[in-house]
This record gives sequence, C-alpha cells and structure tokens, in this order.
Amino acid sequence: MKILIADDSRVMRQIVIRTLRQAGHGGHDVVEAENGRMALEMVASEAPDLVLSDWNMPEMSGIDCLSALRASGSQVPFGFVTSEGSDDMRQRAAAAGAAFLIAKPFTPEAFDEALRAVL
Amino acid sequence: MTALAPELTDLQAVVEEVWSTFVGYEHPLCPRQVPPGTPLDASVWSGAVSVTGEWQGAVTVELADDVAQAISRVMLDLGDAETLADDDVADAVGELVNMIGGNVKSLMPGPSSLSLPAVAAGRAVFPSDAHEVARLDLTWTGEPVRITVHCPGSPR
Repeated sequence: MKILIADDSRVMRQIVIRTLRQAGHGGHDVVEAENGRMALEMVASEAPDLVLSDWNMPEMSGIDCLSALRASGSQVPFGFVTSEGSDDMRQRAAAAGAAFLIAKPFTPEAFDEALRAVL
Repeated sequence: MTALAPELTDLQAVVEEVWSTFVGYEHPLCPRQVPPGTPLDASVWSGAVSVTGEWQGAVTVELADDVAQAISRVMLDLGDAETLADDDVADAVGELVNMIGGNVKSLMPGPSSLSLPAVAAGRAVFPSDAHEVARLDLTWTGEPVRITVHCPGSPR
C-alpha cells in the first residue's frame, strides 16, 4: 500500500506520518508532495493507493488537484486533511469526489476511521 | 458598522484543542493577565492568516522565541541535540496559525476563504484600519503566547 501525502508544510507532513503510525497504519509506503501540482504529477508517476491532501497550498490547491485528477480519469481514493472543517468545505470536498475530510486538529482515531473506509 | 467577532470562550477552546493535539499536554497553557494594548515584552515569532468572504478578519499568533523553538521541536519530533533551522520554526508557527485560523473561520459566517500563513521573526503589526476584536494572552512554560483576532471597520 502506498500513500501520497500532499502538504506545503513539512511539519504537517511529519505529523500526518506520525499520526498514521499511531493509528496503526505505519506499515505503508509514504511519498510526499509539497503542493497540488506536485501531487498531480506524483499520482501519475508513483501510482499511490490513497492521497491525503491539504486544501490550501501554493501552486495548486488540494481541491484543484482533485478536480484535475478526476478530469483526467483518475479514480485514486482522495481524502483531505485540512484546518477547515465547515459544512461548506465538506460539501465541496464530497462534490469533487473526495472520500473524506479530516479536520485539524485530528486524532489517530479519526485517521483510522477514515482510512478503514477506503483501504 | 460593528465587526462580528468570535466568542472568547470559543477562541480559547480552539487554541487549547490545537495546542494539546500538536504540542501535547505535558505543559498547560495558562492565562496571563495583562492590560489591553500591552505589547509583548519578549522577543517573538509571529504568524498570521486572513479570512476573506462573508466574514473578514485576520488571526495572529505571537510566541516567545523559546516557545516557538520548543513547539517546533515537538511538532517535528526533533531531539534537543538536533539542529533546528529558522525555516523549521517558520513552518511550525505557520502551521499553528493555519490550524487556529482555519478553526476560527469555521466558527464565523461563511462562505469565506483562508489565506496561506505569513510568518515573521518579530511582532505582528496591523495597519490602523484593522482593530483587535478578540485576544487571548497566555503563558506556556512561563513564556508569553498571544492569539489575536483583527477585523476591519470601527472598534466596538
């Protein structure tokens, strides 16, 4: 299993990796992208089984990355890990084809619950 | 026009939840009693995000240098002997204000957009057309931490 983590913050990528481990999902291969454009390219080159993406990123946002992926025909499972968990954001995420949205601050339990549904 | 502000208790709940999740429970955030307008008397790092849309405002976090460095080490899982670079601290402070700002945005009327964080080694200063609508003065390990919400328009 390969997971692509897209976040412009190295701190947050580190925290997501640590939380995956705490949630019992530490055995997966992890690849990292610093923005949505890089994530888009890495879905093609790395063929991840899941994308965990921030929403707000320079170059290309997470929601634009997801829209581009779906427009290109990719159906890779895609979940947001973002500081904004409003109903409006959740609706936009779901409408664009996201499997889940985990709002920061998050717990290992929230990760486990979201990942179990897609893995 | 009176600017709509988050309730102080809601702001405190957001800050404590973010802090305890990513920095930990070992040292608590404690209230710090200072008169309004008191500048921070420590050398600080600051981070700011702005919200634009149905609600407009900016959220800033100011942390004493020692606090900024300590939380960066925790968030990056770095030991005391490992080197901490300025861009590591900027990244950690930026992520902290991003999380607090994103949660404040969710408390206020939408739809709105959150900016990317801006971080500086120094105090957060705003032009005169922005005013403070909520402020939390806290300490962590005895050093000051300040979270402020600013809005455009007339002061209340």
